[in-house]
Amino acid sequence: MISIVQERRSPTRREKLGVQSRDVRDCSKGTLKRELQRAGPEAGVPRSTLARERAAAARAALADCRLCAHECGVNRLVGEAGLCHAGAEARIFMAQAEVSDELELIPTFAIALSGCDLRCDFCITGGPSWNPRAGEPVPLEILAGQARAALADGARTIMILGGEPTIHLPAALEIVAALPDDAKLVWKTNAHGSALARELLDGMFDIWLADFKFGNDACAQRLAKVPDYVRVVRENLLWANEHSELMVRHLLMPGHVDCCWQPVAEWLAAELPAVKVNLRSGFWPAWHSARHSDLRRTVSNSESAQAWRIARNCGLNLVE
Amino acid sequence: MKPDANDKPAAGKHPLTSDLLLLPDGRILVHNLTPAFAGLLKELNPDDEQIRLRSLPSTEHPT
Repeated sequence: MISIVQERRSPTRREKLGVQSRDVRDCSKGTLKRELQRAGPEAGVPRSTLARERAAAARAALADCRLCAHECGVNRLVGEAGLCHAGAEARIFMAQAEVSDELELIPTFAIALSGCDLRCDFCITGGPSWNPRAGEPVPLEILAGQARAALADGARTIMILGGEPTIHLPAALEIVAALPDDAKLVWKTNAHGSALARELLDGMFDIWLADFKFGNDACAQRLAKVPDYVRVVRENLLWANEHSELMVRHLLMPGHVDCCWQPVAEWLAAELPAVKVNLRSGFWPAWHSARHSDLRRTVSNSESAQAWRIARNCGLNLVE
Repeated sequence: MKPDANDKPAAGKHPLTSDLLLLPDGRILVHNLTPAFAGLLKELNPDDEQIRLRSLPSTEHPT
């Protein structure tokens, strides 16, 4: 057996933007709020134009970085680094056509940005995901050319991922600005972004492909060194479902069916019952998994069967 | 040996990468599957449904 590891608009969208802009003013310096309002969704304005304006706002926000939910508040423009250790300039460690994602998204042209705000010890791309200096500076024009070629060659989507792309919102939005306006764009995220990041992302991506990794804060803290995980992810998923198409992924971890998958499945069934869910059982003990006795193996057949039973009992809208 | 600057790949010229893990029970886990590698795996195991669906020509991928 071979396993693969791995639109609608709210009617009150503008009102919500107005409410959320208070957050922007509170947590940012200078003229960010004004820039963001200017770059807000406008009927008939091409996505690439909005993305270019949003990218400028996102770059200004690096002066008091609160793009992810850690909200470190460091000035990345002058070399300060928060928990993700990222600077002002993004780098990419991979850009290629892939067919390992959800069937309705593939083939996709995947662009992976280095660095992440989480520290998942089992990360399948731990090296470049933990190191924002891995890879090379974003070759914007070359990337855009490769993406266009991939689309012409039959790619259905263009996916921006990481690491975690939220910490590199300026570069991610610059990439969006360089892509065709009619390309179907996928935002592959750990769903640990801030309200500011969501505001900057509003209307930019057709699909949010979001991980819901842990079903409780204790596992999140122990395995990914992230506090308050469940609340933040739930908040992001609910927002994403209102503002774009949402697909949720859960990577089943060995020994975490009851503590992680079951509560995730039950919450999705209760709060996002129509959302597409991809349950992945191809966990592999990568990176620093050996630091944890529970993560030194793959998922057993019985665990996998139990997880699928839970999914079916919850009536989840499962996709491959 | 210290790499020469000329040895670095040009901007945007990444080699294509797929990772796979062969398990003792015969399962194969794959990450970052490229179309070319999917084609290779299909040749190795034509009966695997997951790979068959991912090795279709781009115009025939299921929705």
